[in-house]
Amino acid sequence: MPREAEPSLNEREFVLKALQENTRLDGRELDQYRPLELTFGDQYGVADVTLGKTRVLAKASAEVTVPYTDRPLDGIFNIATELSPMTSPAFEVNRPTETEVLISRLLEKTVRRSGALDTESLCLVAGQKCWSIRVDVHVLSHDGNLIDAACFAVVAALRHFRKPDTSMEGGVLTVYTPAEREPVPLSWLHSPFCITWSFFGEEGEIALLDATWLEEQVRVGSCTISLNKHGEICQIAKLGGTPVEAVALLQCTNVALSRAKDFSAFLDRKLAEDAKRRDKGGLLAELSAENDR
Amino acid sequence: MPITILPPKSSRPIPSRRADPEDVPSDSDSDTSSQAGGADLDGDIPMITTANKSSPKYDSNTGIVTPGELITSDPQWMRGHGTYIPLGTKDITSSVAGTITRTNKLISVRPLRARYTPEVGDLVVGRIVEVQAKRWRVDVGSTQLASLPLSAINLPGGILRKRTETDELQIRTFFAEGDLLVAEVQQLFQDGGASLHTRSLKYGKLRNGVFVAVTGMGGGGGVVRSRRQVWTMDAANGAGQIDVVLGVNGYVWISKHVETPAEVENKTMGITNMEENVSATMYSSQNDPIDSDTMREIVRLRGVVTALVENSLRVDEDMVVRGYQEAVEMALLSSKGPEDVYLGGERGQQLAAALTGV
Amino acid sequence: MPLDTSTYSLGLLRVDGRRWNELRRIHAQIRTQAAADGSSYLEMGHTKVMCVVTGPTEPGPRRGGNVGSAGGAGAASGGQHKDAEVLVNIVIAGFSSVDRKRRGKGDKRTLEMQSTVANALAASLHIHLFPHSQITISLHVLSQDGSLLAALINAATLACVDAGIPMTDYVAACTAGSTSTYAANDESADPLLDLNHQEEQELPGLTVATLGETDRVAVLVCESRVQVSRLEGMLAVGVDGCKQVREILDRVVREKGRKMIQEGTVERGTGLNDMDVD
Repeated sequence: MPREAEPSLNEREFVLKALQENTRLDGRELDQYRPLELTFGDQYGVADVTLGKTRVLAKASAEVTVPYTDRPLDGIFNIATELSPMTSPAFEVNRPTETEVLISRLLEKTVRRSGALDTESLCLVAGQKCWSIRVDVHVLSHDGNLIDAACFAVVAALRHFRKPDTSMEGGVLTVYTPAEREPVPLSWLHSPFCITWSFFGEEGEIALLDATWLEEQVRVGSCTISLNKHGEICQIAKLGGTPVEAVALLQCTNVALSRAKDFSAFLDRKLAEDAKRRDKGGLLAELSAENDR
Repeated sequence: MPITILPPKSSRPIPSRRADPEDVPSDSDSDTSSQAGGADLDGDIPMITTANKSSPKYDSNTGIVTPGELITSDPQWMRGHGTYIPLGTKDITSSVAGTITRTNKLISVRPLRARYTPEVGDLVVGRIVEVQAKRWRVDVGSTQLASLPLSAINLPGGILRKRTETDELQIRTFFAEGDLLVAEVQQLFQDGGASLHTRSLKYGKLRNGVFVAVTGMGGGGGVVRSRRQVWTMDAANGAGQIDVVLGVNGYVWISKHVETPAEVENKTMGITNMEENVSATMYSSQNDPIDSDTMREIVRLRGVVTALVENSLRVDEDMVVRGYQEAVEMALLSSKGPEDVYLGGERGQQLAAALTGV
Repeated sequence: MPLDTSTYSLGLLRVDGRRWNELRRIHAQIRTQAAADGSSYLEMGHTKVMCVVTGPTEPGPRRGGNVGSAGGAGAASGGQHKDAEVLVNIVIAGFSSVDRKRRGKGDKRTLEMQSTVANALAASLHIHLFPHSQITISLHVLSQDGSLLAALINAATLACVDAGIPMTDYVAACTAGSTSTYAANDESADPLLDLNHQEEQELPGLTVATLGETDRVAVLVCESRVQVSRLEGMLAVGVDGCKQVREILDRVVREKGRKMIQEGTVERGTGLNDMDVD
């Protein structure tokens, strides 16, 4: 397996020395994100997120299937993460690397286990038919902080997504095409966002947000915190690495909360813009209010 | 009536932070005894208690320290193996669980148990793992494989012969994968690896016996560095002489003593002839005929070594020889007579008790 | 401790009769396997874990063949193995939980735990002392009753101490929870120490591992929804619990060392008091 080229000792030293003087190589503040951009596709449920040079595409899709026998009243919700060799030659097809496993676990914990999507609303006929919602995450370009970008893309895609409308009449389930009935949005409960801190220095005393790939390679530890705008932690993951003072972690959480609120506002604005753009045809004016929950 | 609920009981008392003040006497112990150590040390010992507010204090009876425990913050000491100095301090702190040793101003901690760390001059028993173009890689139970260069063995045909390309091509005829050998550590590398040599008639390929691995030095019972690690002993019950090689790395070789050609001919011939004759048998992979009595006694010796290890006793010449004598006597008392070589379980404990009782 | 035993309300006791700040019984042993370089057995309540450490050894085709590829986390920082690599392999026995569930090798939760244990220990172990080598930690879960990750970390730490691998300090772990559910914003919520399986299912909780007696957190894993304001209390209780755990682990090691010295396997050390200035 081809290995990722490692930064040389001097490069490492340079980055760290600069960080100790509160300088990042791209001139950002320690707690500043790179410019975040979000574009929705023509279809519902496609979100393309760029964060500096990192680019992640998420696509949500839905189909009708049979629910799991142990959970007859719940729909199915899956997140599939793919890191292809196109991102970096170190990733191979069909052989999940550690990074990939950790990212998919984090997304799973952040979005699925925190109950962001109401899976009960996906049930059509108890025990027989339900919606299966699937989000495919494709990393198109990797320049650090994949997790935050991927999580943002997943949430954006799901909130943008519309599933076909259905109706039940006399035991007959009808799924309407978009032409017959306007598709309906998912029953969305809250929007969690991942905020990843990277730690540097012998004792992890320097903490920064949104690390680039180079910074990720020289960091000594990281901590991903997932929050929604209501101040609920959905997940925290500091999986090893250099130990960091507990008090510093609490501060990180507080900063992360304000970032999550920023993200939330940004996403709401983008969704509203997109809805306005789609609404130009004037087919269904009442849809425009839908996103603002 | 009020119900009292007691905390769960554990087999050993759960250390509670509240009970700590009772531990203080052990500090005062060390305080008084360290008065000879001068004012500096007096200042040190309370530091241990402040740094480790709640841990069991440094126990001067056993001298055991555990990872993260402050040893001293006196700048006069130098730190050795098993210690480190945390960033931004001058405190020598232990990084392993073990006992403190000091050599002049050097403080090091000897771990209770660890993998073998080679030192120059150690006698080791090793097994060839890999054959490369000009060297062998030998497993000596260390953190890395040791290397044995082709240039560091006695080549057949005399000690002074130059190494040729033919030798390189025939490298497997000297040692092949899986062969056991006894060698000496010649040189250490920076990364902890070692290079061996067998340039002495004492060293070389091992034949005619049995291999036992005991845990390395430094605990759990094991081989300790001592004056004599190789000796020939007389066996009981009509067996021939037996050689024992205790590698410092915890690998042991017990074999039938063979009169080397050197020994035979030493009496008759000059030194140059001797060298030439050595080569004939030196790298042979064929065992000599061993009679069953000798074989049985070899097995008994092996039993002694494993029993010593199982009962966590040290393995050295004195213990093995005494253990062997004890085992022979035990066998005589046994119902099966001298044929009984079993030394596991209770019999091993009995043996250990007899040895430590003396 | 604010609670008086005799007047303590039964209503405030937890399902297994503990108070909010009590650990379950921790029982640990080291040197359980004679053939291994280091080994340990640890029980935290009914969570039972065994650990065997091999190494540091040279990673070769001979040894690395079966373990290295198991997806354990390579925690090697630095270039091509400038430091020792820490590999962790976790096997969860099928009989360890109530419902017999087979977990394949590719189970993401297990992989995540492997990587967490490996990274947590690699930060404490002095891996720079063993270039080009690898330390293999094999963990076997025999029984699960909550706080699994914490038990795994503790067992791995003990086994590494037993193997004599130099480390900065113990990495001790435990869990902490909160009595409020995520939605309730109730201010009276109590933090809880050391969750068992039932509590782990019902209440929000987190796993903390700290380095030695400091407040420095090596691992912090929270997998449930909880208010930000709850975090501080839970973290404080967790960190305090880690210190208690560290002491228990330390006691186990000392006990073993004392026994070895009594038996004469290890030479008595030069006590500090013998260290006079010559």
